[in-house]
Amino acid sequence: MSFQFVIMQLFNGLILGSLYVLLALGLSIIFGTLGIINFAHGAFFMLGAYTAYTIMTFLVPNFWVALICVPAIMALFGAACEVLLFRRLYAMPPLYIMLLTFGLMLVIQDVVRMVFGSMGVPFPTPESLSGAVNLGFMYYPKYRLFLIAITAACSIAVWLFLTKTRLGAVIRAGTDNSQMVDALGIDINRIITLVVALGTGLAGLAGVLAAPIQNVRHLMGMDFLVDCFVVVVIGGMGSIAGSIVGGLIVGEIISVGVMVWPPMANTLIYLFMAAFLLARPRGLFGREAFHD
Amino acid sequence: MTKRGLFSKKNLTVLAVLLLAAALPFIAPYEGLASEILIFALFAMAFDLVLGYAGMLSFGHAAFFGIGAYGAGILLIRVYPSVLLALLGSVLVSSVAAFLIGFASIRRRGIYFTMVTLAFAQMFYFIAFKWTALTGGDDGLQGVPRPSVGPLDLGPEINLYYFILFVVVISTAIMVRVVNSPFGSTLQALRENRNRTMSIGYDVDRFKLMAFVISGFFSGLAGGLYALLQNFVPLSSLYWTTSGEVVVMTIAGGMGTLFGPALGAFGIILLRDVISNYTESWSFFMGVLFMVAVLGFRGGIIGVLRDRLKVQV
Repeated sequence: MSFQFVIMQLFNGLILGSLYVLLALGLSIIFGTLGIINFAHGAFFMLGAYTAYTIMTFLVPNFWVALICVPAIMALFGAACEVLLFRRLYAMPPLYIMLLTFGLMLVIQDVVRMVFGSMGVPFPTPESLSGAVNLGFMYYPKYRLFLIAITAACSIAVWLFLTKTRLGAVIRAGTDNSQMVDALGIDINRIITLVVALGTGLAGLAGVLAAPIQNVRHLMGMDFLVDCFVVVVIGGMGSIAGSIVGGLIVGEIISVGVMVWPPMANTLIYLFMAAFLLARPRGLFGREAFHD
Repeated sequence: MTKRGLFSKKNLTVLAVLLLAAALPFIAPYEGLASEILIFALFAMAFDLVLGYAGMLSFGHAAFFGIGAYGAGILLIRVYPSVLLALLGSVLVSSVAAFLIGFASIRRRGIYFTMVTLAFAQMFYFIAFKWTALTGGDDGLQGVPRPSVGPLDLGPEINLYYFILFVVVISTAIMVRVVNSPFGSTLQALRENRNRTMSIGYDVDRFKLMAFVISGFFSGLAGGLYALLQNFVPLSSLYWTTSGEVVVMTIAGGMGTLFGPALGAFGIILLRDVISNYTESWSFFMGVLFMVAVLGFRGGIIGVLRDRLKVQV
């Protein structure tokens, strides 16, 4: 095993980890506000990739247009789901919204299969980002470096938004005690819509970014989603830092696993999760309150 | 309490259900479907021990069903062609798996529990997927034999049906005993008020773990029967869609009652068979069913029976 190969795999782990980070961030803030896991999150991710494909094939054959439009479209889609579906169930135990999102996931996946077929669709790397860059010690695909950069930028933006702006403070307050926020005269329903839109938009962004390097298939979100559960269990639910660190750890574990013993690569993260659960049940950055 | 005695409403209901079950292979479109209904009824009842009685949403029950199915299949193919040994093996491995998964995840409540059980089930899926030599990988485990049980030849579908019915009736009787026992009451108490149950002095996590293992036991049994029925173990038996299906059966039927999930399994297996004749989009319909059940009929079929028709169940 050459040194270059090892470094290459570590970089690939970073790529996979970046996608996990974007998905886990959305999963985590939706959890923080609604107290549910959004089973449809993987389907939103997949829908992001297919929306990008649709835009580039039928409207404007330009990756950058898709990169900007898809998160916005998906955010609107998420907001619509929240207003039309989730909202009906807030009076019920959280179990019911979770099951609703599960049903939503099945419906979205099957509609995409009906429209685009089950074989998946081709998605080329954008021309301006094809080719490789010489990093001094190795050549690495330009697109993948771009993916790492944009994930880092987005993570910082989300973090700044939640910690430094007024709206972010309201969202965090809603996470702690939504009734109190409501009592203070802030329309909590609008905050919830905003959070779901933000989370869905991030999932859509991850979908566009993943499209050139993953198989764009109607089931692509399913396995990603379960991996993201591992991410938030390790990182700690409802924590931004947890999503970022957890995402990168899981990405690296899979990549290192592929080097060491390929058939076990996927199993490894679950074993790691099991060990984590026994040693530190609330995850790296999880707050005790969320533990229940 | 309902009136006691030989002709009490309860006994008559049980009798009616048994008669219906005995006649099912002649009513259902084909005998194999009747067997499948029974198997999933058993699986859904086992699942409801955890969801409806202990109040924990597991999204990893495919693991126990699938492990039971693979366990029985592998024993029948490689070790010794005996149905009883195979079923014993399936409940053993699935109970052990339930103990291990439960041990690692039961301390996590609510949403964490759901995510963790799902993730562990995926782990078993990946193991079965990659360990081709043992499990057949993506193609599933082919050629599971169906040896006779004593004088009973399980070859004909109708014989297998009555064998499965026998196993399911016994299992149901045991589960009814379990939920009506002090143990069952304790589970419901901790579902309703965890802190109070704890302060009375119950070791809540131990009770949950026991419920989880019992549930894993019967889910594994259902899986073992499924391997016999299909002569084959599909890899999808371990996939999380299987977990999702048992959740929708339980919710659609009405959780917190053993009878409801069985009804839900009956309805959904039948519906799947009918819809599959017309279209490939079963998962679309299942998704819609999920959403309708959650938005509109939270009591499930049982709830509708209870509220609209005033039937005592």
